[in-house]
Amino acid sequence: MDQFRPRDGNDNTVRELRKNVEEFQDHFLRFIKGRGIWLIIIALILLYLASGFYIVGPGERGVELLFGKYYGTTDPGPRYRLPWPFMSRTIVDISTVRRAEIGFRSERGRARSIPTESLMLTGDENIVDVQLFVQYLVKDPVKFLYGAEAPEQALRASAEVALRGVVGENDIDYTMTSGKLDIQHKIEEYLQELLTTYQTGLQVTQASLLVVDPPADVQQAFHDVVRALEDRERLIKEAEGFMEDVVPKAKGQAQQEIREAEAYRAQRVIRAEGDSKRFISLLEEYKKFPKITRERLYLESASEFLAPAKKYIMDQNANQVLPLLPLTGSVPQAPTNSQDTAPEKKGK
Amino acid sequence: MTKIAIAIIVILIIISQTFFVVKEGQQALVFQLGKHERTIREPGLHIKIPFIQNVKILVNKVLAADARSADEYMTLDKKRLIVDTVSRWKIEDPLLFYQSVRDYQGAIARLNDIIFAKLRQEIGNHYFREFIREKREYIMTQVAVGTSEQAKRFGINVIDVRIKRVDLPEEVQASVFARMKAERERIAKRYRAEGDQLAREIRADANKKKEIILAEAYKQAQILRGEGDAKSTSTYAAAYTQDEEFYSFLKRLEVYTKVLKNDTAIMMRPDSNLLRYLQSPVGSAGTESSTGASSAK
Repeated sequence: MDQFRPRDGNDNTVRELRKNVEEFQDHFLRFIKGRGIWLIIIALILLYLASGFYIVGPGERGVELLFGKYYGTTDPGPRYRLPWPFMSRTIVDISTVRRAEIGFRSERGRARSIPTESLMLTGDENIVDVQLFVQYLVKDPVKFLYGAEAPEQALRASAEVALRGVVGENDIDYTMTSGKLDIQHKIEEYLQELLTTYQTGLQVTQASLLVVDPPADVQQAFHDVVRALEDRERLIKEAEGFMEDVVPKAKGQAQQEIREAEAYRAQRVIRAEGDSKRFISLLEEYKKFPKITRERLYLESASEFLAPAKKYIMDQNANQVLPLLPLTGSVPQAPTNSQDTAPEKKGK
Repeated sequence: MTKIAIAIIVILIIISQTFFVVKEGQQALVFQLGKHERTIREPGLHIKIPFIQNVKILVNKVLAADARSADEYMTLDKKRLIVDTVSRWKIEDPLLFYQSVRDYQGAIARLNDIIFAKLRQEIGNHYFREFIREKREYIMTQVAVGTSEQAKRFGINVIDVRIKRVDLPEEVQASVFARMKAERERIAKRYRAEGDQLAREIRADANKKKEIILAEAYKQAQILRGEGDAKSTSTYAAAYTQDEEFYSFLKRLEVYTKVLKNDTAIMMRPDSNLLRYLQSPVGSAGTESSTGASSAK
């Protein structure tokens, strides 16, 4: 029983609501039957006409169609066209530079390589890893909208075609080094040509090769070539250093030897002169008393040259080699046994 | 009131069945009871007989046909290649197109079949090298022309066929990498060998210069020494020739002083000139010459 209680209350509210609705309908019908209907119709018509207003933002163009046929292009500002179904408009951004990435994708500021896109054959049957970055914008908004299906997709595909086509015409070394700019330029031209043929209405502003690298598998070998080149330079520099070191040293040594020889020459001459002078002086005196001078000179020398030597005095008559008197040490104090001593030496 | 509403609805239905819009980038076929009545290639507002005629809208833009998948081809020199193409085309004859391939999907399937066959034939007629390099453009033009001819039957105008990718099968790729590696190693070796060669040359050159400089110096030194020797010799000769006997006497004395050392043993006779006063103050028979200095080791 309890659960049916609230139903009474509900009944009341429903009844009240119905009453209100009926009242509103009453008022409304009266309003419609009067001038009100026209007001609503006018309001609806105005609203309908107002739907033709639109705003073309800066850097945008509006393309208007009249019954599906191209009618005109509108510049930035508030514009008006006839409402549906007579006219329609599409707004195209023609100033924003759009970008396409071939061989990589930027993700949160980092480039992730896509090997299936970036690896390609070069003209000399090598494989190179290339990443291309294309910047473009809409040049012709009408063509962009109605010339080709999915124009931006067409640009991506065409960029790949151009990239591979141009790289395939060149050698890997040219592509990776001196030819990079040339290749970039050719890709840009080729791509633009394709885009024009395909009626995409797109204009390439820049095509740049971000990365032109050997594939990861052979990168080490390529780096080694660079290292080898540096090794070569280093070896040459070292050898040159060796030369810089050896030649001046040799020159120094040469000069030293020459100076020594010069010294020898001078010394020899001077000494000869000295010796000669001495001899001549001595000779002059000698000539005055030759016998005694000769004797003196001999004895003086003998005392000198016999002093250090071991001396044996032999028997006078027998010619035997038997030493009678071993005279050791200095002659003046020779200790002896049989024979008498004191052989004067310094005597004149 | 309701009559008016019904009338409006009926009028609207009739209008929508009578007028139709062909937009930019579209073209249309009008059929009358299933039979082709006319083709509309211009965008704009067009009229047809309601209920009896109906309209088929087709695209009038440049369309793309990507190859389903990259297919494998074989060149004349039996090298395998994976080629991925993309072609651009337009519906040139909507009726023919509609009758033969029905729609976009059907067209792409047919086109790709044609391109595949053409490309297979062209690639099979060329060497790998040609295809990769100089003749790529030519081959693609051939394929495009051939495809275009066949595609006409479907009302399709082929604008071009392009190679998106040319790759080598994975196992071939590995051997290309190996070859590239070998090639680079060769270059690296050459650079190092060149460096070695040049360095050796420079070093040898340096050594040569050094030897020459030293030899020149030696030569000059010898000349100088010779001059010294010559000059001193003449000086000595000039002096000593004044009394050669006295010179030889003096020089010998000098030599004895130098030559006779501690370990020299000298045997002397008591009657030698030096020792003649050794045994008697009168002196023994002073043999002038017999100094008797015979040296022994």
